[in-house]
Amino acid sequence: MLKIDNKADIYTYRVLFLFLCSLMVALIGRYYYLQVIEYDRHFSKSQINRVKAVTTYASRGLIFDRNGELLVDNYPTYVLTVIPYKLDDKEKSFKELSSILDTEFDELNRRYKKYYRGRMLPTIIAKNLSFQQISEIEERKLEFPAFEYRPFNERIYPSSFSHSHILGYLKEVDRETVPSLDKSLLYRAGELIGWQGVEKQYERELRYSKGVSYLEVDTYGREVFELEDGKVVALPGENLYLSIDSGLQQFTKDLLEGQKGSVIMSHVNTGEILAMVSSPSYNLDIYRGTTSEEDWDNILKNPDKPLLNRSVSGLYPPGSPFKLITTFNLLENNLIANSDSVMCSGLKEYGGIERGCWREDGHGFIDLTKAISESCNIYFYEKVQLVSLKDWISTAEIFGFNQITDIDLPTEKIGIIPDKDFFTRQYGRWGWSERGVLLNLTLGQGDLLVTPIQSLRFINHIATRGKNTPRLRLNLNSQLSYYESIQYSDRTWDYIENALFAAVNSDFGTARRAMPANQVIPFFAKTGTAQNPHGEPHAWFIGFFEFEGEKYSIVTIIENGGGGATVASPIAGDIVSYFINSNTYIANK
Amino acid sequence: MAQSNIYIGLTAEDLRVRLHILTTFLIVFGLTALYSISDNPLSIESSFMRQFIFMIFSFIIYLFVRRVSLKAIHDNSTMIFLFTIGLCLVPFFLPKVEYTYRWIDLNFMTIQPSEYLKIGLIIVIAKYLSDNQIKIKTKSIIIIPGLLTFFAAIIVLQQPDLGTAAIVCAPLIPMLLWAGVNAFILFLIIAPIITIIAASNSVIFSVWAVIMFLCFLVARPGVVPGSILYFSNIFAGLLTPFAWNILTEYQKQRVLTFLNPDLDPMGSAYHIIQSVTAIGSGGFFGKGFEQGSQTQLKFLPVQESDFILSVIAEEFGFLGIMIVMAVFFLFIKTLLDIAFKCSDYFSSIVIIGLASIFLSHLFVNSAMTVGLIPVKGLPLPFVSAGGSFLLSCFIMLALITNLSENS
Repeated sequence: MLKIDNKADIYTYRVLFLFLCSLMVALIGRYYYLQVIEYDRHFSKSQINRVKAVTTYASRGLIFDRNGELLVDNYPTYVLTVIPYKLDDKEKSFKELSSILDTEFDELNRRYKKYYRGRMLPTIIAKNLSFQQISEIEERKLEFPAFEYRPFNERIYPSSFSHSHILGYLKEVDRETVPSLDKSLLYRAGELIGWQGVEKQYERELRYSKGVSYLEVDTYGREVFELEDGKVVALPGENLYLSIDSGLQQFTKDLLEGQKGSVIMSHVNTGEILAMVSSPSYNLDIYRGTTSEEDWDNILKNPDKPLLNRSVSGLYPPGSPFKLITTFNLLENNLIANSDSVMCSGLKEYGGIERGCWREDGHGFIDLTKAISESCNIYFYEKVQLVSLKDWISTAEIFGFNQITDIDLPTEKIGIIPDKDFFTRQYGRWGWSERGVLLNLTLGQGDLLVTPIQSLRFINHIATRGKNTPRLRLNLNSQLSYYESIQYSDRTWDYIENALFAAVNSDFGTARRAMPANQVIPFFAKTGTAQNPHGEPHAWFIGFFEFEGEKYSIVTIIENGGGGATVASPIAGDIVSYFINSNTYIANK
Repeated sequence: MAQSNIYIGLTAEDLRVRLHILTTFLIVFGLTALYSISDNPLSIESSFMRQFIFMIFSFIIYLFVRRVSLKAIHDNSTMIFLFTIGLCLVPFFLPKVEYTYRWIDLNFMTIQPSEYLKIGLIIVIAKYLSDNQIKIKTKSIIIIPGLLTFFAAIIVLQQPDLGTAAIVCAPLIPMLLWAGVNAFILFLIIAPIITIIAASNSVIFSVWAVIMFLCFLVARPGVVPGSILYFSNIFAGLLTPFAWNILTEYQKQRVLTFLNPDLDPMGSAYHIIQSVTAIGSGGFFGKGFEQGSQTQLKFLPVQESDFILSVIAEEFGFLGIMIVMAVFFLFIKTLLDIAFKCSDYFSSIVIIGLASIFLSHLFVNSAMTVGLIPVKGLPLPFVSAGGSFLLSCFIMLALITNLSENS
């Protein structure tokens, strides 16, 4: 018992009691009005006819290449749906259907559970019905009153090849994923959603807008007739035009057959991607629901990871092209004179460890231009001593490393540009030194990881001399926009261009095998041979060339392929040569 | 004590027994309706079975709360309030659930912390009033309870949850009135709210202006303060149309579709139309158990929680509704009796606060299903499906029993 007694008086009690009574009277009165006085009106409304909203569908947008060649088309198929509440004997119906449809009984049950939405709503239980199957079901319609078939669009790929990684695929939405999806696009279980590639990136544009038809239905849910009032027409999705040139893409893909790696080629002046191949690839048809468990397992467990889009998600040590990062630092900060040269004898000792040049007998006296074009390691070991780690990292970041290039594809990775914090985390406060790690970084080795698309952006920045470098893109109709400009002096850009030109055009240039035969074009490039713990080094080639007044860039990486000069350069050369000679290419005019 | 015995013949023990019998009835009504609309009531995923399991769980918590003494609640009231406030802030640090910060997802159930904030707020206000009982006739007594309520309502509004924010405010006036605060002061608090609601219609506004004038005449607050208060109310009403623009788009939409249901046939008005048809077509005797065409065809969304009364009304008719309403009426009347019989000031005020919560849920939920007020996602106590709210109802029931027993 607490100290203060209840002070409530009977007056307050009555006020609250009256208030309660008046609310009750209001509610009961309203129920009386609806259920007794207006009963006839509401009852007939519920009994005779009801308006029911029915969703209508349209087709998904198509995907074309830059020349208007159809890459992704819709293919009308039929799906079989069942309305659960009409299903009297599920076991029996499913057993009989399984023989008609040639599908396991358990599979039908599994699908039924997976797509179930409610007693009154159609549930998809089979897809890709053949004409024969439809006619058999139609003949025995009375035996299957709960089942209906309706048209359903699937994706097919009419061109003889698939651009699997760029295009991506569609996936069926199931009950568990619906709540996590964009509410405004109104997904329902059993519908398709873009799940990878541009199908995912441009889901909003490609997806149709659903319509609504208002149907008068009777109390058993039977449709009586359609109302015109309030009808919303379903609209097909927008078509998508990719900047890809199918011919070039196919040629590149064939060239990479049997190798692991990635090739990306872009039109520097617009940022358009002309070809983007990741190898090995896979056939997009595997997503049409007819792939066996075993085949799936093989794809998922394949050590070559065919599902990975190496162009944007593959992470590699960048190798020698990163010598340019050191070069930019040396030039911009006036750390070297043009005539400076270094003696390369093939070996040199730093901090008690001997480090070698790839050319074991040494390059002799070598200047910066030659050090780039012939890719001398000793020169950069020596000169990187003049650069601070902080400057070096910020230069790499200016060129877009350690961030996404913002290309219109999902799952782009940012890679790693290790900084002080990274090294301290990784090796402990006293486990590393700035000079030591720079010796690795300057060769594009150590803890660096970049994607091929980042390397493409890097070379595009160089090709445009830092100013107005267009953002990389796959959608031909998207707005042209630019990366942040890089303000370096003309001397720096001239120097770099000279060196890259020499790498292709001089007798000992590492990229000389990239020059197409019988053609003389201004071609600038840098190769790389990136050591890695997984076996043979990765072969890199990054470069750009001028053709008919426009600039094009190309990045090639062959995983565990060997030398950049001997492996990556000839592949790049073949692609450039195809590009120049092919008459299928129509520049974007 | 002597006074209360004259008016209410039953003993406190009788009232508690009656309260529990009535609660059992409500639970049975709810489970019956849920059984009717579940496709497969005995599967673990059905709303019937889930509700059944939640009920057992809530009952265990109920038994646990029953062991807490009145003194413990009274002495720790501030801590309880701060704890419930803290609980309400937790969702803001978690990922959004269904695009709001209303819930804490515990995997097996989701907790709506604002349910418990209501209880904490009532307890802390009752504690304040009982501590300051000697000053109960002063005007300043309402400041602290008013600020606490305002503070709690603001937090709930941020989640955002307009319906629960309104419920949070509901117990304030009944509690103050019960505690013995001057009725005219309370009138001054309610007056602006009615003014703003009445402002939507010039006829209603004029009638209200006259009623307000009469109230001022009776209470005689003095010419100058009286006219200032009166005219500031009138101005508030005139300014309401401008304040309207501050509401978010979806709140506006909800109010607008209520005022004009033809605006959005598939939106919130769709729910009202479907609900009204379901209720009206039930008639006097209803269509029978599992026979409601509207509910069985799933024309009604969230029929297992917010629109559970529509299911009962369609399948069991006006008769069924009368029984449900009678049970609710007796339930709240019993709470009022318990509060009146309570020998202790603090307990009595808490019980009135909790009774206001039950009544406001009942009123808002049923008025929504019959289309008297806009759609607000508020469940019906002990009847609607939903673990979090059921649990908080059981906790409130346990508190009421404890307080009346201990005092």
